[in-house]
Amino acid sequence: MSNQKKRNFQIEAFKHRVVVDPKYADKTWQILERAIHQIYNQDASGLSFEELYRNAYNMVLHKFGEKLYTGFIVTMTAHLKEKSKLIEAAQGGSFLEELNKKWNEHNKALEMIRDILMYMDRTYIESTKKTHVHPMGLSLWRDNVVHFTKIHTRLLNTLLDLVQKERTGEVIDRGLMRNVIKMFMDLGESVYQEDFEKPFLDASSEFYKVESQEFIESCDCGDYLKKAEKRLTEEIDRVGHYLDPKSEEKITSVVEKEMIANHMQRLVHMDNSGLVYMLLHDKYEDLGRMYNLFRRVTNGLLTVRDVMTSHLREMGKQLVTDPEKSKDPVEFVQRLLDERDKYDKVISTAFGNDKTFQNALNSSFEYFINLNARSPEFISLFVDDKLRKGIKGIVDVDVEVILDKVMMLFRYLQEKDVFEKYYKQHLAKRLLSGKTVSDDAERSLIVKLKTECGYQFTSKLEGMFTDMKTSEDTMRGFYGSHPELSEGPTLIVQVLTTGSWPTQPAVPCNLPAEVSVLCEKFRSYYLGTHTGRRLTWQTNMGTADIKAVFGKGQKHELNVSTFQMCVLMLFNNADRLSYKEIEQATEIPASDLKRCLQSLACVKGKNVIKKEPMSKDIGEEDSFYVNEKFTSKFYKVKIGTVVAQKETEPEKQETRQRVEEDRKPQIEAAIVRIMKSRKILDHNNIIAEVTKQLQPRFLANPTEIKKRIEALIERDFLERDSTDRKLYRYLA
Amino acid sequence: MGISKDRIKFNVGGRLFETTATTLANAGRDSFFGALFDDGWNLSPQDSVIFVDRNSDCFAVLLDLLRTGDLNVPANIPERLLHREASFYCLLDHVRSARWGPFDGNRLRLSDSVKGTSPGDGTAIRAGPDGGCCVAHGSVVHVYDWMLEEHSPINLDYQRVNDVGWIDSDNIVLSACERLGRGDGGMGLFSSSSGDLRYKFQVSHENQVKSYTAGALSFSPDYEIFASCKGRSNEYGIGVWDQITGKQTDFFYESPGWSLGDADKLQWLNGKSCLLVATLFPRKDNCYISLLDFRDKNMVWSWSDIGSPMAIDEKRVRDAIAMEDSNSICVVNEFEDLGFIDLRMYGGSVRWSSRSKLMKSKMPDEPCYPKLALHEGQLFSSMNDSISVFCGPDWVLTSRLRRSYGGSICDFSIGGDRLFALHSEENVFDVWETPPPPII
Repeated sequence: MSNQKKRNFQIEAFKHRVVVDPKYADKTWQILERAIHQIYNQDASGLSFEELYRNAYNMVLHKFGEKLYTGFIVTMTAHLKEKSKLIEAAQGGSFLEELNKKWNEHNKALEMIRDILMYMDRTYIESTKKTHVHPMGLSLWRDNVVHFTKIHTRLLNTLLDLVQKERTGEVIDRGLMRNVIKMFMDLGESVYQEDFEKPFLDASSEFYKVESQEFIESCDCGDYLKKAEKRLTEEIDRVGHYLDPKSEEKITSVVEKEMIANHMQRLVHMDNSGLVYMLLHDKYEDLGRMYNLFRRVTNGLLTVRDVMTSHLREMGKQLVTDPEKSKDPVEFVQRLLDERDKYDKVISTAFGNDKTFQNALNSSFEYFINLNARSPEFISLFVDDKLRKGIKGIVDVDVEVILDKVMMLFRYLQEKDVFEKYYKQHLAKRLLSGKTVSDDAERSLIVKLKTECGYQFTSKLEGMFTDMKTSEDTMRGFYGSHPELSEGPTLIVQVLTTGSWPTQPAVPCNLPAEVSVLCEKFRSYYLGTHTGRRLTWQTNMGTADIKAVFGKGQKHELNVSTFQMCVLMLFNNADRLSYKEIEQATEIPASDLKRCLQSLACVKGKNVIKKEPMSKDIGEEDSFYVNEKFTSKFYKVKIGTVVAQKETEPEKQETRQRVEEDRKPQIEAAIVRIMKSRKILDHNNIIAEVTKQLQPRFLANPTEIKKRIEALIERDFLERDSTDRKLYRYLA
Repeated sequence: MGISKDRIKFNVGGRLFETTATTLANAGRDSFFGALFDDGWNLSPQDSVIFVDRNSDCFAVLLDLLRTGDLNVPANIPERLLHREASFYCLLDHVRSARWGPFDGNRLRLSDSVKGTSPGDGTAIRAGPDGGCCVAHGSVVHVYDWMLEEHSPINLDYQRVNDVGWIDSDNIVLSACERLGRGDGGMGLFSSSSGDLRYKFQVSHENQVKSYTAGALSFSPDYEIFASCKGRSNEYGIGVWDQITGKQTDFFYESPGWSLGDADKLQWLNGKSCLLVATLFPRKDNCYISLLDFRDKNMVWSWSDIGSPMAIDEKRVRDAIAMEDSNSICVVNEFEDLGFIDLRMYGGSVRWSSRSKLMKSKMPDEPCYPKLALHEGQLFSSMNDSISVFCGPDWVLTSRLRRSYGGSICDFSIGGDRLFALHSEENVFDVWETPPPPII
């Protein structure tokens, strides 16, 4: 074996590399190509899915994926080119239908072709990052049909024509429209936007530009808004029917711009139909429409608000500065309240309770209420009127409503301290004359004022209520300790704390003996129970009920003031008295006495005494006697004093002066408070801060503040800086 | 009538099957069966048999898969054949999801061991999102799909690979050392299926493109790539790139006395929108862990063991991982002691929980440093030839994964509901899976 001849082995290279027959790929592809043709010609019933799938699979498996992929694209492109010619040939109305039909066919064919090529889709395309079969089929349709020159513009114009027709009231085939638009959306967002949406928006813009111009020339504001609203809902409707929901915002903004934004000023200011007209004529529905439409555009609401504000201010200014209208304070305030109610209703029903409109309303009221310096007085008088008599018969809830409304007006006042002054006077009168209708209502308003302005504001008012209560107790105590007084005249004393009540100079007078005895008894009782106090009689503020028997025996109870009582009591001992005698006996100051006599002798129907000579005015030489023939159908007769309800000019001046006087310490206190914390401050800043601090009570006058600063410098609270004269320093 | 309408007959490679349309509907529309029963195709009359020219044994397996959702492969069917057949019917996804269940560290079973041919130790193993993995060895990265079939290996100018990461199932980022003077190395994006280089990332300093060495990688859900970078003129720091454009968007330069460009580990914290950067012993003499906020270019938290009293090498931090749920960072030393640092305070210290001094007893000749991973509330730590699983608020040891051969585990990774462990000897990696849920 070993000597066997060595043989040289020659190993030959392996000659038969396994190569798939190139013709195999061609053959397989031909089968698939034929199938694609048949699918497009809707002749697929004879095809075997399994066979086609297997063939496509085999091509990919044997590395002919590229051939399969390009073959599919070429074949489909050829088909689509043919389809586009057919679509193009369709005449008139059938054009869209043909397009839609071919589109549906293409979708179905594409689906089937993708099924066949599924393996390629999942493996070859995935790993080579080529476009998948389905999106590829869509972009082929886009490039060969939609973007085909002879179809592209014709398609767009047909669609826009249909929209135009629908806008002018014709009925169109919305279903077909939806399908075609859906095609654009299926082809991708950019196709929809570029090939349809943008031209559609441009055409719409043009259409509404023309139409709005037409409308604005021929319609009034209300009608125009109705039409604009209708157009807007139509467009939103259109989007719902056949456009991409994303187009809604865009098309509405076109309508908004063309129909509203571009004509905003003209609409609002339209004579006899614009915003002011609507406000004046309570056109709530139109106002609501305007609000809802204008809200959609930039600066829309701002425009509405500005016009409303200037109208309100103008109207309010006329209201408060018209001397005719400020004659009756109650009516004056009632008118303000009515206006407020009206605008409240406008804002709540038409303007959706918009906060910015409410603010505009408030600032307008604030502006014009303060144009009339007497507003605080009038508001107080209005309250007086309501709490004095108006509230009788009104339910508690209504009282609250009225008071709440008054508080609203009160909030607008800059000079709240003036209101306080008047309110105190009016409240004092109500309390002392016992004419307060409801203690609860009074207290409720005080509570409201307290929450609005703080404890300080109402402490004195509350003091008045306390005095009333204490006086009641005191009276009970007084009569309890003097049981012998149950016979004879009754004295009711109200002890008022000095300072809490509006100060009035105590006017002395000689009380009738019966009364002054009682008064003395009370004085000793009161001072006996309260040491260290001083009592002063405010005879000018009291009232008395006296029984009188006239000539024929007619009995009456007369309700008179203390002064009047003093005068009448004199006639118990005399038949006839001269003015001089009366003045001497009572010592009532002349002006008061004259007023008092006037009301006793000159008021028709209530003249319990007569005057010689008969005249309207009281003269120094006149003489008086009892009117024996006095009759009245009432048993109780109220003799009023001649009082002006509204303040007279000098009284007004006086109140004003008092207010100014009261402000001085407040301003000074504010300055000191501020300087204490800031130490050094310049003039302008002091003014600003003081104004700010006092705002809740009144609007401080800068010159007054300056005066107060000077006063404080004099009293060594502050000093001017030695170098910068504008700087003030606080001196501890 | 209603029943017979539903019934379908197949002749697959000569063998007859009978099933129902309902069963086949489980395959979904995007499959052979879904297309077959589409209205577009005129199926032949009911009683006739649909012929399919495929392997009948595999068809039986796949039909059972559609019937039961379970995959039972008889021993006589090669995996590759089954996968090939599943691919024909477009049912590969079905096979994959039936193969193993949702990941649970305490129910893992060793499903496969794959031997490689690369010389030397592996650097890193990374699990892909769909069950594949890639393994870095020296200057080459081997890529395996979920069927564990190897695709073309990838390399970046054959430079030493420092880290790899999956952006998605088709894209892998590779970071490598630079080669001086050539502009080679850096970072590249590769196709996982073909191994082609798709994009090479660049770093610019003061508007000049510079060559660089890329280290540890991390990705954020906002399509950002982070990498620790070293340039030659001391341009050390963390680079940021956009995954979509590939452009560099940011660079966080390392400040003196701190280390970022040499980092061993980057981890993106989604809740805090911060990047954890950890540079550890023995790459540096000290350990530096910091959290970077790129929005205002700020280091919002940092920790270092410089100057801390240390019992020599005993407490050297070898790996770190941030646990956002418990607001802490977990670290591990070379004896697999776990330690925790509170993320809510600045300058806190490590709270070590010395669990197992026992481990110290037998150290293998070639030790591997421990690694940490976190997956849905389970903490994994590799040590020598085993991986420990810790659960619960106190991180109790609940499972240990160990194989008998292959030597120490030098890296492991969890992803695609699988755990891959790379062993230092014999160049082998193990695949651990959770079995499908029990029948009842």
